[in-house]
Amino acid sequence: MKDRLLPYWLLIPAFVIVLATTIYPLAYSFVTSFREWDLTKQRRPGGFVGVDNYLHAASESGFQNSLWVTTIFVVTSVALTLVIAMSLALLLRRKGRMHTFTRIILILPFAMSPALIGVSYRFMFNPEFGVLAKGIGAVFPSLEGTPWLADPDLAMAILVLTDVWHWAPYMTFMCLGGLASIPRETEEAARVDGASNLRIVFGIILPQMKGVLLVTAVLKTIFALKMFDQVVTLTGGGPGVSTETLAFFVFNVGFKWYDMGYASALAWILTAIMMVISIWYVRMLLSERKMATA
Amino acid sequence: MRRLFAWWGERALLALVSVIVLFPIAWMFLTAFKRPRDAYSLSLDFEPTLQNFATVFADPWNLGDMVLNSVIVATVTVLIAVPCASLAAYSFSRFRVKGRKFLFFLILSTQFIPAVVIVLPFFLMFRTLGLLDTRVALIVVNLAIVTPFVIWMIKGFIDAIPTDSEEAAMIDGASRLRVIKDIVLPMAAPGILTSSIFCFILTWNEFLFALILTRRDAVTLPVGLVSFRTERGDLWELMSAAGVMITVPIFIMALLIQKHFTRGMTAGAVK
Repeated sequence: MKDRLLPYWLLIPAFVIVLATTIYPLAYSFVTSFREWDLTKQRRPGGFVGVDNYLHAASESGFQNSLWVTTIFVVTSVALTLVIAMSLALLLRRKGRMHTFTRIILILPFAMSPALIGVSYRFMFNPEFGVLAKGIGAVFPSLEGTPWLADPDLAMAILVLTDVWHWAPYMTFMCLGGLASIPRETEEAARVDGASNLRIVFGIILPQMKGVLLVTAVLKTIFALKMFDQVVTLTGGGPGVSTETLAFFVFNVGFKWYDMGYASALAWILTAIMMVISIWYVRMLLSERKMATA
Repeated sequence: MRRLFAWWGERALLALVSVIVLFPIAWMFLTAFKRPRDAYSLSLDFEPTLQNFATVFADPWNLGDMVLNSVIVATVTVLIAVPCASLAAYSFSRFRVKGRKFLFFLILSTQFIPAVVIVLPFFLMFRTLGLLDTRVALIVVNLAIVTPFVIWMIKGFIDAIPTDSEEAAMIDGASRLRVIKDIVLPMAAPGILTSSIFCFILTWNEFLFALILTRRDAVTLPVGLVSFRTERGDLWELMSAAGVMITVPIFIMALLIQKHFTRGMTAGAVK
């Protein structure tokens, strides 16, 4: 074998997999998104209908609702995850037995199946025998018997809670990695000069963590945009449609109503949003790297 | 005095974090060993029983079949994805291939495609081919999510290996493939193992694909959870027992790679 071609040979198996499992379905659903295809009536895809499916999305309340739900979910869960992850990283970067123990167990929520997390929180927030619902009721008697998951705002809050519980540990690891890579000298000099902890964190550490925090924020945004598992196992999209995220809505259109054309169009809208964010992400990474090497 | 206060404050915070992390997990484990009527009380004073595990493994739940499905799907996915990804990662890491940046960007950007988008065409295709509700179908779609991720991760590990010994061996006349087999593979082994375990965890916990593509024969553990929601209500003690079965193997693996995990993740994401 010629060594010159080897780099390409090495790439081929992986590329065959990626092309077959992602590029092909993408192309397929792109074409389908311009057709009419009700799976309950037609076995094969129907005629082309132009951009009707996309226009339908623009005017339909279910889609608009899911867009709104997703926005609220993404903003709150990304903000909370970042603040908690950064604070935890600052807390955990010191050495100590308790620090090490906490760092080790932090991997557990991330390894836990998101579907199972949804089920567990549903159990714990059951108003009749859920341990958290009862616990909160014991501390704040006015909240006793609150139907947590039957209230639209509270259901959303618990959905965010499960997601933060799942992701904050992982993001803490990323922040810890970032903290480990910034030089300690400036911080120590400031400490010698008597600067307060708050000043050190906001004036010295956070500015240097900007790159890592940006990456973390974008990654978390992308994961949050895909939110699906806990919606199914925790709230089922309810009460009403108050926790129907975009991914869940696409799932309903495709696999409850079997409207393949419309579902494909919705899926592509979701993909477009992700693409914009991921291109922005790569750009940002590249410019950060330039700044780092300059 | 103030320093003492800060010292205790820090420990109190750490303890609080540990409780928040461990409590939901601990509660599930406790519930799994409770009898049905104890499961609906908050009492910690109960007689532990293994009855729930016996129940979930018996008819009609047949959790054993789901365990088998999960094990097979996750293992085969890892066995296909990791070797292919390792080769690609090596190529990306060591060679200046034409269009390398574009190809790598292509791989990375597939990472951001929502799973719903991928599963829709596959559902239609598998329906035509009669592959719905089979493990093969699950393995194929899981590869879509896992492969780009593993390439990314392993590339981070290979980038960190110095090229000196490879170059020395090549000057001595060893071929590139020999170098990969005898020098790079052993050095990259911890990274590849970490990535494999990571890939296993992702596939093991995967929910959306399995929910859509399986019905009865190929159901995996996370989807199996949903079946404990019956007309009689949610059977929490059985769900918890199934939850324990999902979590224990994954927790063991996660703790095994804990050290490398942190490094691999940050290397992949930040660099």
